[in-house]
Amino acid sequence: VVIASPLARTVLALTAGAMPGVGWSDTPSAEAGAPGGPGLAIRCAKALTMDEERPVVDRALILIADGRFVAIGPAGELEVPAGYELLDVGARWAMPGMVDLHCHVAGTFDINGAVYQANPGLRVRASVVPDNPALRRAVAAGVTTVLYIPGSATTMGGQGVLLKTAPASYEAMRVRDPAALKLAQADNPKAWGWGMGRLVLNWQIRDTLRRGLAYARRWERFERDGGAAPELLPQYEIFRELLAGRARIAAHTQAYQVVYSTLRIVRAELGLPVFIDHGTFDGFLAAEMATALEVPAILGPRSVSSQNKGRGIDHDGRILGVAAEYQQRGHPQIGFNTDAPVIPQEELALQAAMGVRYGFDDARMQTVRGLTIVPARVAGVDERIGSLEPGKDADLVILSGHPSDPRNAVERVYVEGRLVYDAREGRKL
Amino acid sequence: MERISAPLLALAALASACASTAGRASSEPSAVEPSTYVPRPLAAGESGIAVRGAKLLTMDAEGRVFDPGMVVVRAGRIEYAGAPVELPPEFPVRDVPGGWIWPGMVDLHSHVHSGGSFGDLNDMVVPTNPELRSRPTVRPSNPEVRVACAAGVTTLFGIPGSGTSMSGFGVLYKTKTDADYEDVVLRDPGGLKVAQNFNPQRGGGDLGASWAGLGWLLEKLGDEAAEGAREGREDPSLENLMSVFRGELPVLIHCASAEGVADTVRMWKGRWNTNCVVSHGSWDGYLAGPYAARMGVPVNHGPRTMNLLAMRREDRVVGTAAEYVDAGVPLFSLNTDAPVMPQEELFLQASMSARLGADPYAMLEAVTTNPARSFMIGDRVGSLEPGKDGDVVVSTGDPLDPRTHVELVLIDGQVQYSRERDGQWF
Repeated sequence: VVIASPLARTVLALTAGAMPGVGWSDTPSAEAGAPGGPGLAIRCAKALTMDEERPVVDRALILIADGRFVAIGPAGELEVPAGYELLDVGARWAMPGMVDLHCHVAGTFDINGAVYQANPGLRVRASVVPDNPALRRAVAAGVTTVLYIPGSATTMGGQGVLLKTAPASYEAMRVRDPAALKLAQADNPKAWGWGMGRLVLNWQIRDTLRRGLAYARRWERFERDGGAAPELLPQYEIFRELLAGRARIAAHTQAYQVVYSTLRIVRAELGLPVFIDHGTFDGFLAAEMATALEVPAILGPRSVSSQNKGRGIDHDGRILGVAAEYQQRGHPQIGFNTDAPVIPQEELALQAAMGVRYGFDDARMQTVRGLTIVPARVAGVDERIGSLEPGKDADLVILSGHPSDPRNAVERVYVEGRLVYDAREGRKL
Repeated sequence: MERISAPLLALAALASACASTAGRASSEPSAVEPSTYVPRPLAAGESGIAVRGAKLLTMDAEGRVFDPGMVVVRAGRIEYAGAPVELPPEFPVRDVPGGWIWPGMVDLHSHVHSGGSFGDLNDMVVPTNPELRSRPTVRPSNPEVRVACAAGVTTLFGIPGSGTSMSGFGVLYKTKTDADYEDVVLRDPGGLKVAQNFNPQRGGGDLGASWAGLGWLLEKLGDEAAEGAREGREDPSLENLMSVFRGELPVLIHCASAEGVADTVRMWKGRWNTNCVVSHGSWDGYLAGPYAARMGVPVNHGPRTMNLLAMRREDRVVGTAAEYVDAGVPLFSLNTDAPVMPQEELFLQASMSARLGADPYAMLEAVTTNPARSFMIGDRVGSLEPGKDGDVVVSTGDPLDPRTHVELVLIDGQVQYSRERDGQWF
């Protein structure tokens, strides 16, 4: 066996990322940064803040206290306040905890109640299992927030819940409940019964959405103008959240005519808050319409549009990148998902990396944005998570280099200032 | 010839501190001993091409890296690989500023030769088929092969499936994009395909319902062929199999799990001393890694390079490529089992193995020189050295980084993919 020259290996290892175990300062106490503990100051080579003003800070200092970010800036401009404990992570990078808006692995996988075709009242909350193995892998990969949603066995699977992935009680994990209404616009829900086609699905969707919206408007009127209280209909309560902007419609939609129907019915006709979830195959052909209607695109888990799938894509045999096609059509709000367990939760960053392989432009850290601030904004929780900004939850990932290079390792993960993963105590990935 | 200069090391260290792309794009020319190689002009009718880039990974036995580098190909074969030299006027040259030059990748476990994904792979009338060959099913330059080429995978071992214990002999071929069979074949038969356990288990009520039956079927036939090979027996149905037992052809063995890998090594190396390569070796197969290492049996791992089941036991995902390498198996390589994993994601098998703890350079060897050497084609492909086939890839960066784009693919010195000409595929 010939193992190649150590020199060559070293160079490649170095270009791939920082050497493990090199450059850590003395470890601060376990409580530093967490609620009730002393403040924590982290010095790193590069902070991908994803703050609009200054998305990347070289040689950065990050100040954390009571579970929240206090300040982020160049180490030369910021002082370490008295009482703060310092962690110098050397050549490593820091980025916000990643956000996956399409997750089915936060619980028992009991995510489809398929007795009826449309089920806006069902909630996956009941099946959440904190600290399960899939969530532990998510944490080890730097995915700190997930939208746990029902499956696509029916046109309307029910309500999703936005959760932190780190071990905690359900109440402590919960970011927002309900956070989303899951819509499945085509394909999968057709398996509900013989004779189901897209025409029926679309009727079902339009009918239920209109009834729900009318219900929410009756309550809105009542709360504004008083009068007789409307009848309470639990299956339509989610529409009050949607109308108030506290929840979103997560639309499982893919292929052009289906994405078009989502945009037409849910957004253009009914004005509901919705995002494209999947958006795959040739769904990108509706990207300009989505842009005009300000409907975000959370893409995946398939990152390519293959010519072999018989989806009417006519080209020369090359593979089209889904994210690249949306981007090239000017779509400004592109994020990535895993649909875990379709793609393992821990491979969220790889979805973005493969997007670049197929032509997605990453010159302005669009991959990192699509893993953090874009999904946070899409879920309506960007005041709490998605970037390294003062006041936000201290959900922070320390890693050996650019997150879109899979050879880089996640080395530390903080959620709300709590150290929840430390690779030095045993790498899980 | 200089390997890697100290300033480059420092630069690489700096690169990790500031930007992941800086190290590869802006390396300074290192001090290189003047080369004695002076390329002569192309003779009339002679083909040739040179490629020049910022970094050359030769993947040769010394692991030499040139920074910058150049490869000169004449009449389909590599004439020179090293620091850039002066070229005669009119010599065709492709300059890729910032480009990385590396050998075309080799995948020893591929089923896309017949086109249409799994195509025509398994004859399952009888459990052992030493007479069968993939050759009649090869469709050169089919769409999946063209995609593989554009990704820099230039040599494939196109093999029958694992529907029977011994499914026949595969073809080693190149992924040229517009060629006929004679133009693409590297060796036919390229080697034997055996399936030691799992898939070939038979439910028809005859022998082979369990691993015990499968083992007996292989052992009986193998002993017969081994004896035939020793005695120089003439037997058309065992002709190719006897060449495996004479050590003239390698054998790739589908197996998985610790006991499957151990059984494979014991039988094909311990009993018959063939040039055998364990393929897959998945699940907890890595637990038999030390035994394979002791017996000197190479492992061609994948398409899954991790053991998720271990998460339940150890609370971590075990990177199985790292486990095999650490166990010391010789010539460790990776595969896609395409179309199980798309052929074009061979590089990703390496990246993800590195993510789970394997050394990145060892993983680069695992998709280039190691598979070639373990399958007795190391004299032709797998590294960039004078005399070898002109299978050269130029990319915008590190081959294991998914954000890297392929610029140029040469096979036998012919341009088979060019980003400039064909548009960006990867």
